[in-house]
Amino acid sequence: MLPAAAVFHFPWEINSGAVKDGESVRTFGRLVCYQPEESRATLSAHHAANEHTVVIHTLFVEPFNPILGAQYLVLGEIENAEEVDVRVQARVLNCIDGVNVALLQKAINEQRSFFRERECTQDGVAQPGDAT
Amino acid sequence: MQASAIGPAEEPSSILWGLDPIFSAFARLYVRDILQMTESTQVPGIYFYNSHPINKVDILGTVVYKRERDDFFCYGVDDGTGVINCLCWKSDAFKEEDHSVREKHSVEAYGNFNLVTELRKLRQAQKERSCLDIGEVLRVRGWVKTSRQQREIMGSTYYKVNDPVMAVQIAWMMEVPRLYRECYNKTIQLNPTATGDSSVSMFSKATNIIKDFFKQKMVTRFRPYDIQDLLQPLVFSQPQKAPEDQPVAGLSACQQLHQLLKKVLEDLQNEGVIYRRVKSQDEVYDVTVQDKDLLLAVKDVISQDSKREKHAEKGCHILHILSAVRQRHSLNVSRAALELVLKSLECSSDIVSTSDSHYTVF
Repeated sequence: MLPAAAVFHFPWEINSGAVKDGESVRTFGRLVCYQPEESRATLSAHHAANEHTVVIHTLFVEPFNPILGAQYLVLGEIENAEEVDVRVQARVLNCIDGVNVALLQKAINEQRSFFRERECTQDGVAQPGDAT
Repeated sequence: MQASAIGPAEEPSSILWGLDPIFSAFARLYVRDILQMTESTQVPGIYFYNSHPINKVDILGTVVYKRERDDFFCYGVDDGTGVINCLCWKSDAFKEEDHSVREKHSVEAYGNFNLVTELRKLRQAQKERSCLDIGEVLRVRGWVKTSRQQREIMGSTYYKVNDPVMAVQIAWMMEVPRLYRECYNKTIQLNPTATGDSSVSMFSKATNIIKDFFKQKMVTRFRPYDIQDLLQPLVFSQPQKAPEDQPVAGLSACQQLHQLLKKVLEDLQNEGVIYRRVKSQDEVYDVTVQDKDLLLAVKDVISQDSKREKHAEKGCHILHILSAVRQRHSLNVSRAALELVLKSLECSSDIVSTSDSHYTVF
């Protein structure tokens, strides 16, 4: 049936464990390495003077044309297996080279602050328990 | 968290939904909100987001699920907040594919432009825009439906969005919160609850009731108590705040009725629909366009005076007709009443208007 909605997360949030195992995410980064025999790609993003990498399992999106150094958008589920680091099981991998990363970040933050704002107003206004 | 759910008691009446501009638009809601909207108890198929009635939406997202049948595509679209099924019917371009392939290649008589080939290319391009794969970006506008307890969008317009640098998706992400703040999250007052408003609408209803009555019953003459009963249902069906406070709160129903009647009669007189031929103790009103004597008097004035040299060329001016009718028929004929009479006479081709305010008879 329909998969779960993939919420936008930043690459540095994925590795820090902010996202639970099995959750669907959408993230982006520059392709720094690709190992076709292991179906493994690594995306990297720069933030707060640090380089953050996300490992992608590309089995379901192969074959794709890997352009090293290009920006990619990945959509998939988080896998938090014990022996390996956090990685994303990709369902969608699109090359978005040329994207304005700063603007994309701004848009994601804008959306987040809107949802936070909305949740606050709803929790603030005493909602009568709606028996649906 | 959910958007504020609207209880059945809080739903605005369906008759007022058209007043909400969002109802007529394809609302750019988040898929999460579309999935969580409550369905109306009055009309199934209409949903509510924050007291706005919604039945059409516009979404942009990534295709994460695809199912194809002969007649339609079913795309699962993910916009980052939720995933929803979109039913997209195939256009005729899909079905015509076989024919165009079998067509014989016509002679290239028109240089490099071959109409058949171009048409085929056009159909091909149309097909490509509606046939998507997982991972591509889709824009859908359509109606919200609930089928088998699942919410879906029945796409009326859909196409593949070419977004190589995510410009479209970024713009969408920046715009939708703004739309929410400016439109969707603003509650709209659809109910005219202020007493001022309700009395205005009651007054116009009353005037219309009386006018209809005159037309249907071909009323020529009446007294106020003849039409009083017509207005009774309006006054007595008014929502009472609390029956106990009735005698205390302002006017009683009877007084309201009297007031309403007086206002209506005044307004109808000003419009010229009715007039009092003879002003006496007995309050008798004449319905202007039904007053045969008045019509005849006006016609006579025009036909006689048009023969005179003074008015022969241009016809009689309305003010001249007015003063003549006042002398001949009744001093209480207003200009508005006369205009109604002249219009009625012109419609029955008894007189002709030669200019904006001149009339004559042939």
